[in-house]
Amino acid sequence: MGFIRRNWTPWEADEWRKEDWIAIVLSPLCYILLMVGTVLSILLNIWGFILLALGIFLTWLMHWVIDPKLKMISGEYEKKQHEYLEQLERNARWEEING
Amino acid sequence: MVEFQFLDWFWVVLFLLVTVGLGVAFYRLGKRSESDFFLAGRGLPWWLPASSVYATHTATDTPIWVTGIVYKYGVAGLWYTFFAAWCAISAFVSTRIFRRSLAYTQAEWNTIRFHGLGAEMLRGWISGWQVFMNMFILGWVGIAMGKVCQYLFGWDLWIGLVLFSSLCAIYVLAAGYWGVIMADFQQGIIAFLMIIIVSAWGIMAAGGPTVIADKLTVMGEAWRMNPFAFTGWFEGDFPVAWFITMMVIAIIGGFGMGTSIDWYVEAQRIQSAKSVRDASYSIWWGTALVLTRNSVWAAAILAFYVMSPNIATQAEYELGWFRLGFEYLPVGLIGFFFAALIAIHVSTIASHLNLGAMYFTRDLYLHYFKPKATEKELVWVGRVATLILLLGSFFYGLMMEDITSWLIFALWLMAAGIWLPNILQVVWWRFNAWGYLSSWIANLGLSWLVVWILPHWNIIPVLPDYQQFWLLMLLGALIFVPVTLLTKHEPMEHLVKYYVQARPIGWWGPVKREAQKLGLLTHIEMKIEGGK
Repeated sequence: MGFIRRNWTPWEADEWRKEDWIAIVLSPLCYILLMVGTVLSILLNIWGFILLALGIFLTWLMHWVIDPKLKMISGEYEKKQHEYLEQLERNARWEEING
Repeated sequence: MVEFQFLDWFWVVLFLLVTVGLGVAFYRLGKRSESDFFLAGRGLPWWLPASSVYATHTATDTPIWVTGIVYKYGVAGLWYTFFAAWCAISAFVSTRIFRRSLAYTQAEWNTIRFHGLGAEMLRGWISGWQVFMNMFILGWVGIAMGKVCQYLFGWDLWIGLVLFSSLCAIYVLAAGYWGVIMADFQQGIIAFLMIIIVSAWGIMAAGGPTVIADKLTVMGEAWRMNPFAFTGWFEGDFPVAWFITMMVIAIIGGFGMGTSIDWYVEAQRIQSAKSVRDASYSIWWGTALVLTRNSVWAAAILAFYVMSPNIATQAEYELGWFRLGFEYLPVGLIGFFFAALIAIHVSTIASHLNLGAMYFTRDLYLHYFKPKATEKELVWVGRVATLILLLGSFFYGLMMEDITSWLIFALWLMAAGIWLPNILQVVWWRFNAWGYLSSWIANLGLSWLVVWILPHWNIIPVLPDYQQFWLLMLLGALIFVPVTLLTKHEPMEHLVKYYVQARPIGWWGPVKREAQKLGLLTHIEMKIEGGK
């Protein structure tokens, strides 16, 4: 298995792992690079093109890291969603007050 | 005043027919159930709520505000808009946790995370506050449209406010969130397209990017192109200390729920997404569009600056981007530009009409007034609430000149002292409803003290806003941390149930161990834990 995990079991995907933290670190960095890179690129500043290209690459990398995990979480969770929605309605209508 | 030709009016009327018609077309879907009227049945692919995130956060007053800060601070002024970046971490943390809770609203989430009387008090408070806030935002945004129409056509302020909000209400009343989301999609495209066209036109009118850079250099204003042009570490009105505070608020705030006023709008989009993954991407990409849109604006505003430097009056230079459109676009395109402004306007109005109505219907009417209400009844209550919000927004909008400074203060109150509690409620199992409630109450009193009363009596100096933030956070913590630790934690059974469903991040060790003991987490996971 490589440094970045691409195959997940449902139980492992539910845990907060290294891949989540990589996305958490990369995500704000992507926003900064995309925002600053876009405005400087429009002004034809060379640093703008470099920062924008880096921002696009890191955005791709972030999705590549986190997407398999998100897919697994989503797939598993949807199986239980109907039951949880019924609980939510009972709670809203005071039919199930205690946790 | 701007002269409209036939082609200009053609674009405006065509846009209004399409946008209202498209919204109303989803009438049958919207009336099916409460879930459809407020969350589009929880089945949307990520790009639809993403476009709604973008469209909602492109309001009539947004280009005025962005123009003001970029004209004053240059490209570095973009950091003022960076508060939207709370979505960076939220998309992969609090969005995931909130989506798994399935709560319609943040108020409902409080009764899932917390328990008993404290949770119900929080739900009542948050929902009442959100009904008020949405009405206030509707008035604020509505009157901005009134001002734009006054500038363009010389209309009385109330005409622009009432006319376009009412047209928008037609499809919100008919189709609820289905109408909002479908109209937002086409409005988002039109608005983004027009923002690029007007900005490009403005940049070319100034001579193009190279000429703009050269002129700024000749004027001795090259610093305006530097995104890190601060006034010193602590000196001036735009210091590095302010920038660092903004980074902390925006980025770390993504671990929490409600750390930004925009969370409440995003929460509805999160729950309308068809899966956890779709929810995450909708928030991430919607915000990425918002931030890059601001960059496009910033470049255009530099163009405006080189053509009209040294405007001293804020109210005058804030209209810079609008002036690029109305003064430089050719006949025909001006009408298209105005249609895009209507798109920008109604997308925000529609979102807040439906959101405020959802808090009223779900959290107040259903939960506290009539728990046995049928789905059909709830849809009708949603429509009545939408109408009340609309009428209330006219009232707020027309008195907005007098109350704006007070209500901006109220917004500040909501952000500073409860920023940390909004994170703790997500990441710390021991944080309870009483701690959270006490933080809201303490913040109310402390904000008055720190911002107005103590400086008035010269007990403390008037502090810059970033210092107020840190002081309010510290003083608030001196109250809510002891309150939390001196009161009982939420019942373990309730916390376990929440943990198993939402899988929160952070310090949840005792709750997780209890869940494992009860066999609610899988055998495989226990083996992994044991192997560590």
